[in-house]
Amino acid sequence: MCPRCRSLDWHEQRLAGTGSLYSYAVLHHPRSPRFDYPVLVALVDLDEGVRIVTNLVGIEPGAVRIGMRLSVEFEPTSDGGTVPVFRPDAHTAAPA
Amino acid sequence: MTRTHVLARDAAAIAGIGQTEFSRHAGRTELQLASEAIVAACADAHVDVGEVDGLVSYTIDPVEESELVRSVGLQEIGYSARVPYGGGGSMGVLLHAAAAVAAGVADLVVAYRAVRARSGATRFGDAKVAANVANTHAGTTASQWCTPHGALTPASWIALNATRYMHQYGTTSEDFGRAVVQLRAYAATNPDAWGYQRPITLADHQASRWIAEPCIRMFDCCQETDGAIALVITSRERAATIANPAVAIAAVAGAGLFEQEIASDHYRPDLSVMDSSVVLARRLFDDAGFRRDEIGLAMIYDAFSPILLMQLEALGFCGFGEANDFVRDGNLAADGALPCNTNGGLIGEGYIHGLNMVTEAVRQIRGTAANQLPAVDVALVSASRTGAILTRT
Repeated sequence: MCPRCRSLDWHEQRLAGTGSLYSYAVLHHPRSPRFDYPVLVALVDLDEGVRIVTNLVGIEPGAVRIGMRLSVEFEPTSDGGTVPVFRPDAHTAAPA
Repeated sequence: MTRTHVLARDAAAIAGIGQTEFSRHAGRTELQLASEAIVAACADAHVDVGEVDGLVSYTIDPVEESELVRSVGLQEIGYSARVPYGGGGSMGVLLHAAAAVAAGVADLVVAYRAVRARSGATRFGDAKVAANVANTHAGTTASQWCTPHGALTPASWIALNATRYMHQYGTTSEDFGRAVVQLRAYAATNPDAWGYQRPITLADHQASRWIAEPCIRMFDCCQETDGAIALVITSRERAATIANPAVAIAAVAGAGLFEQEIASDHYRPDLSVMDSSVVLARRLFDDAGFRRDEIGLAMIYDAFSPILLMQLEALGFCGFGEANDFVRDGNLAADGALPCNTNGGLIGEGYIHGLNMVTEAVRQIRGTAANQLPAVDVALVSASRTGAILTRT
């Protein structure tokens, strides 16, 4: 149910797939065989206002900056699914 | 009547406390651990176990009530309840027990928690690859959004909040480490503690391996522990007839907020603030009529060290972003402004999911703690979204 209007009338909404990094963590331990470590897990605030848990790709942990602009990609999971992950936009850096 | 969301002042009292040893391999079932703790708590309260007429525990506790009734020989149970939200909800057991006593539906309530967080079928800190909605060891349904991305543990979930907190205020891993050094100093002189006779330095903390960078090192984590604790709660009047000094549940409250999850709590607007603790503090201090400078002991839920600092701020003991300086200035020490987690906390003593915060507060008020403070008249216990103020009766 929508917690604001209590509607049950659901529909899919296409999102731009862009957002900014709200927070992150570089996970070292414990390790699951399903993932490559360290795991770069992130909270991304999508431009439409939704916050999601995701991963960052295409960046070294030491270069991650909160606030950096990100765009979505899709990656396969170890069990045959697909998940959204985010890559930093090449030309953007974190806001000063 | 005015609704304040805080139970009427002095509705009930803690008449007895009991526990097993805290270990990494209890070698017996949670049912037996709970039974042993309950018998010990009733002995401490000088009441017959068979008189217990109320049972309160956590939704995730594995000890089922009818098994417990049969195990320890309870005769007529009038009230049973379980509280949600995992360790954050742990002080809900005091709220339920005190409310049941105040309402007259039970006279002698036992609150219990039994865990084999280390030797049990599922280690608490293990990587969980599948969300299990029936078991909040695995977080809430929100964890279904975490597991596909490798955020599989409580440490990994909390780390996302803690990194944002560090970013917001410039708090560092060393700042967390200073709190841990204090906790381990307390634990080092507490024979019940996992950290007994094992103090650490800040350098030790900084050398401990990363669990979740940049906020949680190994020494920032509580210890997976086997053990059980039981508390006997009754009316102030009955407690006053008991030999051991009773400890009043002077105020007790909870504060669960919209879109707040359990450990995988990532959807509140500002994750640098533990805003349920802000509400909790309003209820315990403003609504119940206590002042922060009355608090002689603070027991603050420290499953991971960042949430200790974040609660110090949210509860109003220092300003937002100032917990690093508050800790650095020695305020958590026995001679500080706010002696805190004097048993070593969940990090130093063990992780009985919050109930060992209550046993320590009771001992400090009675004057029987391992690291006894000169005199404690008023203690705060904060599990972040539930909490209580305990006082000398």
